[in-house]
Amino acid sequence: MSVVGHPEPAMAESPRKARADAVQAADDRGALGHRFLRAGVTTLIWCVVLFLCVVPLGLVVAISFGHKVEGAGWEWAFTFENYYRFLVGANWPAETTFLYLTQLYWSMRYAVVASVLAVATALPFTYLLTRQSRRAQARWLVFLLTSLSLSEVFIVMGWDIILSNNSGLPVLFSASGLTDWMKATGWFDVLRDWGLASPRNVKFKTSEFATVLTMSYLVWPYAVILLYPALSRLDPSMAEAARTMGARPWTVARTVILPAVRLPLMGTALLLFVFLLGGYVAVTVFADPAKQTTAVSVFEHVRGSTLNAPFGAAQSVILLVTAAAFLVLGQRLSRRSEGAS
Amino acid sequence: MGVLALSTIRKDYGETRAVDDVTLDFPEGELTALLGPSGCGKTTLLRMIAGLEAPSRGTIALRGRDITQLPAHRRKFGMVFQNFALFPHLSVRENVAYALTIGGTARAEAAARADRLLDLVQLSGYGDRRTGQLSGGQRQRVAIARALAQEPEVFLLDEPMSALDAKLREEMQVELRLLQQRLGITTIVVTHDQREAMTMADRIVVMSAGRVEQAGSPQDIYRWPATAFVAGFIGRANFMDGVADQGRVMVGDVALSLPEPVKFLSGSPVRLTCRPEAIRLEAAGVPLNRVQGTVTFVRDLGPVRDIHLDTVLGKIVAEQTPDHSLPGIQVGQTVHLTLPPEALRIYPRPRTAMAAA
Amino acid sequence: MLRVFGHLFMALAAIVVVLPIAVVCSAALNGGRTMYFPPEDPTLARFTEFFVSEPVWTRALANSVIVALGSSTLAVLLAWPICYRLWKSGSRHSATLAALGSIPFALPPIVFGVGLGFFWAFLGGLGSIWAGIVSHAALFLALPLVTISIGLQAIDRAHLDAAATMGATDGVIFRTIVLPQTLPYTISGFFFALVLSFNEFIVMFFVSASAFATVTLQIFNSLRNGYTPTMAVAAVAFIAVSIAVFSAVARWGDLPRLMGADQSRH
Repeated sequence: MSVVGHPEPAMAESPRKARADAVQAADDRGALGHRFLRAGVTTLIWCVVLFLCVVPLGLVVAISFGHKVEGAGWEWAFTFENYYRFLVGANWPAETTFLYLTQLYWSMRYAVVASVLAVATALPFTYLLTRQSRRAQARWLVFLLTSLSLSEVFIVMGWDIILSNNSGLPVLFSASGLTDWMKATGWFDVLRDWGLASPRNVKFKTSEFATVLTMSYLVWPYAVILLYPALSRLDPSMAEAARTMGARPWTVARTVILPAVRLPLMGTALLLFVFLLGGYVAVTVFADPAKQTTAVSVFEHVRGSTLNAPFGAAQSVILLVTAAAFLVLGQRLSRRSEGAS
Repeated sequence: MGVLALSTIRKDYGETRAVDDVTLDFPEGELTALLGPSGCGKTTLLRMIAGLEAPSRGTIALRGRDITQLPAHRRKFGMVFQNFALFPHLSVRENVAYALTIGGTARAEAAARADRLLDLVQLSGYGDRRTGQLSGGQRQRVAIARALAQEPEVFLLDEPMSALDAKLREEMQVELRLLQQRLGITTIVVTHDQREAMTMADRIVVMSAGRVEQAGSPQDIYRWPATAFVAGFIGRANFMDGVADQGRVMVGDVALSLPEPVKFLSGSPVRLTCRPEAIRLEAAGVPLNRVQGTVTFVRDLGPVRDIHLDTVLGKIVAEQTPDHSLPGIQVGQTVHLTLPPEALRIYPRPRTAMAAA
Repeated sequence: MLRVFGHLFMALAAIVVVLPIAVVCSAALNGGRTMYFPPEDPTLARFTEFFVSEPVWTRALANSVIVALGSSTLAVLLAWPICYRLWKSGSRHSATLAALGSIPFALPPIVFGVGLGFFWAFLGGLGSIWAGIVSHAALFLALPLVTISIGLQAIDRAHLDAAATMGATDGVIFRTIVLPQTLPYTISGFFFALVLSFNEFIVMFFVSASAFATVTLQIFNSLRNGYTPTMAVAAVAFIAVSIAVFSAVARWGDLPRLMGADQSRH
């Protein structure tokens, strides 16, 4: 076999060499020029992509080890002081504060609650969407994409008007007598316990509720778009088969649809989480000053009042690491559930 | 020597050998059908002829000139693809004129030529349509016209009927054959449908597992299959495995005679075939090659009737035209059947069958 | 029963999605300088302010348009060769390249924004509109990468073979088959990048260094000073652009397919 196989390339090459056809030679020269051109374009594209997409991130990491100079910006260094500061405070070991860790906690908490809420409500919606006609789907997608692309500032503006104390819902509540009714029935005290009411009226600003609601709203269209492919590829005859075997609609959802989309579901939740981890506007507008997030702090340190670029960079790196940790964890989990099934 | 000559063509994809040592000659103006089951390498062979794949070894020559290394766009053999591959972003006329337009023919002239070709395939007036608005048969006509526009030296068709429904398929086979004869163009059709090959071809090349099993006229191949594979693939056949025994063949305990004494050594394993329509269900005449069988199933197709039988030779299917059949033949009935010696073909038994036996 | 429930759920979702948008839009009609809802003294005067008479807003709008058009064009031009190489050769290099190009979009935007801030400070481009265009091109490169790849995968390879048997060289095939057939996908990618660039502000905040402002940036900067109805006009304008663009994509391209729907169901 190998004896026959060996001379093969030479056999294939020889007629090509033998045929010194002028046209073919010209063709080869053209091909050579093409190859150079293609190599040039490839190199150029590589450089551009590396330069634009990778170098900025490298800079963030590099500067996170830099040192702040009082009143004069910062200088290159290799110090872990910014990370120490994040974990235990600037004056450690004399004094320990967990201010920045608390901010990271709130970042994660808002992001987790908002992304889970978004995915949980987007799932039934997307399922219903994929069962509609192609035309209707296209119309819904236009609507969702419009909402999705709309800038965070507009959306926060909208919810701010709806939830702020001297317009929107609180005014509607007191004008319609709903506030008085709730006071009479005792619901008002429940809302006060949840931090959603002042002594006189309901109050959504500032509250965790408003923050999570807005963040969840921000990523909800993303959740639909991300779940859409998996659900639209779900074979409808699968659910129908389950129905013919006597499964009730809820049983079908639980035993057929959910298991089929478990992985995309988790993937979507993770992506939304990563996105929300860096959320800024909704937090500054709706969150309590004591419950601000790492992203807000990054902002303050890089461009805000307390200029400290290295510390801002270090916090960015920690955000990245957090995101990466969650992604790895998610992958582990999905791989394990994959193996189990 | 023909227009196109393939010599010792081989194609390997990694470990698998798709085409193995094929040497073929395609005579001027003839229609050759490459026939075989799916995966036998016939499409790969056609794509190598078109220049879309390079053979691993061997040469392809066009009128004596070696074109093995010539890329597809320099060969310009017109080709009709399985799903026709009409360009959806172009109109019917633009599709047909494609080869001319990119070749630098003036727009008006290309359009005029395209319209003449559309006339030829009976699609006058369809030039401005989008390809999506055409029926399957119309799409095929456009694909044919498009491939002919460049006046190719060899015309290639890859399973041209597979995207059409059964009724249309038969019509188009006749029509394509008439068109080919009128133009006198050297044509190669790849198909897995033996009826299609028999309808259209001057010559059939039966392929299996990358090799040519037999090449010849449709009638020769039907009457004198070169191998047991060909006998089973072209038309229907009853297979009987036996052992050569002093000029005859022993199938179980039954000795079967052929017109001439069998040349196989006594004791060598052989396989006999017999076409269902050759089997006679009657007890008259010389009792040569006659056995008894029990009818297990009767399949009445109208013009002909298949009778499935259990015999000492194994399961046998006999095809009868109704007026030849025994009156009132029924399941469970015992009948006599005769395998005429001149209808029997003998082949060495394939190795796989021996392993199974 | 279940059907009715489903329709109700979808209607409810639609209402919630529309609610804040509708509120912002109607606030644009306010006559006074303060934002009220429902609007007081309805007028269209704010639209004139935004589009014509107030230089702060007209300049911001011009910047937004320049950045969005420039960056989405650049992103498409960068994405095309990457996708084409990936599709043509399927090489691991191209796959890595495509993955790298998608990184910025997958990160929390604030992190990439901070990085670009440093990046342009070193290069001296901080605060120039060019830096803004290039930054957005990098950020949204992922979108044309995805849509063009989908478009290329949708091409039937038999079409390329057919063209080759009719005498078309690689270059001719690219010009006459590949390019026209992927045009809707290219345009979709361009539009996606365009609309998102139009609405983005965090990255732009770090890159602009307050030297120039886009519309969203202008709104973001004046967020703390309270809203004005003119801001709401901007929202209306942006929504109108989004709807127009996505409707166009849905009309001339296959939106469900772009979003990853199954092909067999219609």
